[in-house]
Amino acid sequence: MTRGTGGRALIPEGIMMVVLLALPWLAPLLHVTADVLARSLIWGLFGLGFDILFGFTGLLSFGQAAFYGTGGFVAAWLLTSQTVNSVALALLLGTAAAAVYGLIVGYISLRRVGIYFAMITLAFGEMSFFLENSPLSALTGGENGLPGVPPPGVELFGHSYTVASGWPMYALIAAIFFVGYVIARRIIRSPYGMVLRAIRTNPRRTPAVGHDVQRYKLSAFVLAAVYAGLAGGLLGLFQGYMPPDAFYLDTSGQLVLSTVIGGRGTLIGPLIGAFIWIDLRDALQQFPALGATWKLLFGAIFVLIVTLFRRGIAGEIGALLERRRRARASLRAPAATGQRLAPPAATRERVRAARPGPAILEVQNVAKRYGAFTAVADISLEVREGELLAIIGPNGAGKSTLLNVLAGDLEPSAGRIVFRGSDITREGVIEVCHRGISKTYQINQLFPDFTVCENVEIAVLAHTRGRFRADCFRSLHADRSRRAKAEQILDKVGLLPFADHPTAEMSYGEKRRLEIAIALANDPKLLFMDEPLAGMSPVERAEAVQLIGALATERTVVLVEHDMDAVFRLADRIVVMQNGVLLAEGTPEQIQNNADVQQAYLGGVEEHEPA
Amino acid sequence: MPSLGLFLSQLFNGLALGALLALVASGLTIIFGTLGFVNFAHGALFAFGAYAGYLTYQASGSFVLALVVGAAATGVLGLLLEWGLIRRYYSRPPEDQILVTFGIGIVIVESLRATFGGLTLNVPQPSWGNGILNLHYFFYPVYRLQVLGIAALALFALYLLIYWTRIGLIVRAGIEDPLMVRMLGIRVPRILTLVFGIGALAAGFAGVVDSPIVSVAPDVGSRVLVESFVVVVIGGLGSFPGAIIGGLIAGEILSLTSMINPAYSDVALYAAMALVLFLLPRGLLGTEGRI
Amino acid sequence: MSLLEARGVNSYYADSHVLFDVDFDVERNEVVALLGRNGAGKTTMLKSIMGVLQPRSGSIAFEGEAIHGLDPQEIAQRSIQLVPEERRIFSGLSVEENLKLAALTAPKPLELGWIYEVFPRLRERRRSRGGNLSGGEQQMLAVARALIRDPKLLMLDEPFEGLAPVIVRDLSRVIRELVRAERTIVIVEQNVRAALQFAHRVYVLNNGHVVFHGTPQELMHDAELTSAYLGAAV
Repeated sequence: MTRGTGGRALIPEGIMMVVLLALPWLAPLLHVTADVLARSLIWGLFGLGFDILFGFTGLLSFGQAAFYGTGGFVAAWLLTSQTVNSVALALLLGTAAAAVYGLIVGYISLRRVGIYFAMITLAFGEMSFFLENSPLSALTGGENGLPGVPPPGVELFGHSYTVASGWPMYALIAAIFFVGYVIARRIIRSPYGMVLRAIRTNPRRTPAVGHDVQRYKLSAFVLAAVYAGLAGGLLGLFQGYMPPDAFYLDTSGQLVLSTVIGGRGTLIGPLIGAFIWIDLRDALQQFPALGATWKLLFGAIFVLIVTLFRRGIAGEIGALLERRRRARASLRAPAATGQRLAPPAATRERVRAARPGPAILEVQNVAKRYGAFTAVADISLEVREGELLAIIGPNGAGKSTLLNVLAGDLEPSAGRIVFRGSDITREGVIEVCHRGISKTYQINQLFPDFTVCENVEIAVLAHTRGRFRADCFRSLHADRSRRAKAEQILDKVGLLPFADHPTAEMSYGEKRRLEIAIALANDPKLLFMDEPLAGMSPVERAEAVQLIGALATERTVVLVEHDMDAVFRLADRIVVMQNGVLLAEGTPEQIQNNADVQQAYLGGVEEHEPA
Repeated sequence: MPSLGLFLSQLFNGLALGALLALVASGLTIIFGTLGFVNFAHGALFAFGAYAGYLTYQASGSFVLALVVGAAATGVLGLLLEWGLIRRYYSRPPEDQILVTFGIGIVIVESLRATFGGLTLNVPQPSWGNGILNLHYFFYPVYRLQVLGIAALALFALYLLIYWTRIGLIVRAGIEDPLMVRMLGIRVPRILTLVFGIGALAAGFAGVVDSPIVSVAPDVGSRVLVESFVVVVIGGLGSFPGAIIGGLIAGEILSLTSMINPAYSDVALYAAMALVLFLLPRGLLGTEGRI
Repeated sequence: MSLLEARGVNSYYADSHVLFDVDFDVERNEVVALLGRNGAGKTTMLKSIMGVLQPRSGSIAFEGEAIHGLDPQEIAQRSIQLVPEERRIFSGLSVEENLKLAALTAPKPLELGWIYEVFPRLRERRRSRGGNLSGGEQQMLAVARALIRDPKLLMLDEPFEGLAPVIVRDLSRVIRELVRAERTIVIVEQNVRAALQFAHRVYVLNNGHVVFHGTPQELMHDAELTSAYLGAAV
């Protein structure tokens, strides 16, 4: 969906325009009325924002009715109380009110994730209904809603025309929907949109590469509220009446059902889903006995789709087309495991007696405790600029925990961490990343739904744009330098030929290299590596050692490893940990001959009885 | 200033309501603790129980039988749902698990509506529940007091089940570490089915108990669903004691604020939830005191 | 016929190839030590036997019957027990509940009283919550829990890790008891000396390959091997 530049990229918008224009003529053939179409489009508009929130960012909210209702009732009240006479202004104010409400609710709800988030938004949706129903009923009409919403008028050449119901209303709603659709498409295909998708794909790695995930989520939530508020306002205009069921849990639920059935992450999913149920409802109303069963049918279809066709109607069709396209373009990886490209041999022989640079990282009495359990007891050490420091030790020594504390993933229970003179003890991964510190993970943390190059680009986006930028209207393709930078990094790790391959097709060793590439995007001065050789075959190991050596010529590297051959070959200095404390420190030779270290690894028992 | 009588009356209402909420929320929290997802069909199961109880009462005239059959029928429905559909979702992302239970909930409620119509049906109070008690400061309906007693008994039975039986032992261990339970030779999938059935049974039982008070309609469950969510957010997901405490707190909030201004009592509940979220994101007993 | 016979086992963690064509035998009533550095694949081998990981190729047979591809509960029901590295005792359950749970599905569990005789510390703490036990007590409980099922094959993954010397001594005593009772045991350890005191035979793994297979004496005489794969001459 984000591929293609120039004209090709605007095909969906073009198709949408053609369809919207053609519908009035096609309607009789399809046995649908202007009414049904207009209603579907209002839901479609409602769903554009929801799909951005759920389909693209991965946040399942069950309370969108709160904003749909708010936008609708504010606009309706302004018009019916004649506080505002311009329909456009009323809609604008209604939408703004919904946005503000969205900001408040989002701020509270986003303190949690996943299931909690779903439950909390559900509760806020219900709360909004109760507010409408009772305390504010003087303004909202309570159970009765607000009748008498005037139809919109247009001033043209000195005459005022009111938009009549039927096709003229359809035209107005279709026009607004189209604008909303174009904007949503733009948002999705912007750098901002790429970050949203990254959040859905790997919510752990996204902040680690420098994106302020909370702000992205909150802004997406507000966006969804804006679309909802506008749609709500249109509902009042369309019906000439603002109904209280805009706030019902049912409404939020219908939105979720429509989006999933129509296809999440497609933008048009909600429209398709809404069209289906509105049509279904109207069709079944013809038979009095079946009248109310449309909901049952729709619910059953929903369960079926979630179970068997997870992507929804538009999603499954889209995936099918994508598979065909890929097969045709024959981008099949040429035996991805067979043709192995080693990283360029820019390795100089590591000179053991390298001049020790000044201390780039100072670790002062750092400890990490989990209740009664002490993972890291009291560690003080120094990392010198330009060196490759290895942290080794038997299992349970606390090595990975220490690494995670230093890299900002965990907060220490005690102690100080100073990076180039600044105290970074309390800073999290986002700040630490922007300071020029990166970490590669023991278990790959990639962005699986993206291509190899896009994985790196996501990280580059943070480096060039900072923690957060609402550049929702910029095109992804406007900035060529981002792709160029990503390709440069891929070249360094030997993955450039695979730049446009899906990540899933890569071999394990190649994925490990991609893992490293992502961590290089912010030009880190200090690179932490957590067991980079874990799970590698002997051939992959040799290549990885070469690569790490090359990387270490340009920056300071601290790694945790168990592969002793690799450690002794690469490290300038070694630090040995055991049971959370520092056991020994020195050059590889010193460590190899250290009796305490041998004891730690081989262990000992006082009595030595034969078995 | 509300009178002492009114206050005490509302206090008891809050206890009765709270005990019922605690029962429903316990089912929800046990399901979450063991199966790892939030059951969005929980309210629908409550409604199903109410209808099953209604049918039984119509057929037999015995409220006690209605309680038994209503709860059992919902429990069986729960077993079938888990075995037939929900277990396919354990390896799916949590959003999908929410979606499928949400969908199941809709199918159940709409099936009830299609079968019984949308009108409210009456379940009269049991004959042993009739009457008003003179409690010195205020008069109080006998049945309400009994609801408190019944719900408390049911909670106690649940407690015994969880802490004093073999099944409960397996469930408690399974919440902590299902793989280790399997390594000890215990078939976990059966336990999961049973747990979902027990959770459903609790919801159905509460549905029957509540039916003389709120009557029977297809949508009775949706309110209970949201309220039980608030309860587990307050009490902490996965914590049985948390569900009880959260339930009582929620019941009292709803009851006592309605004394001041009924229009705001629901809003007050959600405000309390927002407050807990801000101060204690894990709920009152979230991290520790896990079942 | 060996009690346990593994041939050509290749195991993966997701995409990562961890065990390469491993052959591994255990005879009745013997103690086999599986040594090697971190990341060598020792734990992976035990997990492959226990069904926690499914090998992608190769075979594992127990008492002549193929067990590769079975679920952990089926393996446990064939009387194989694993005491995992992280111990994994149930912290919300009491000591006695942990033991009772383990005994539930065992066809002929050992008497609780006998377990308490072997682990007197656990009797003292029988009502304590698992989460309130010290590291050493938790390790004892983990072993006791496996033992109460009277397994034909007992596998211990780094039982001495992170324990104070005095506890290491206590645990060694327990294991010696088990060895004297002719139990079949596989012990994975980084603490080479502790493992070698019990072992009849030794395997050494490095980066997923078996690099040595023989007796403890043969291992101890091969200084080059031990320093290369274990850290230093033993």
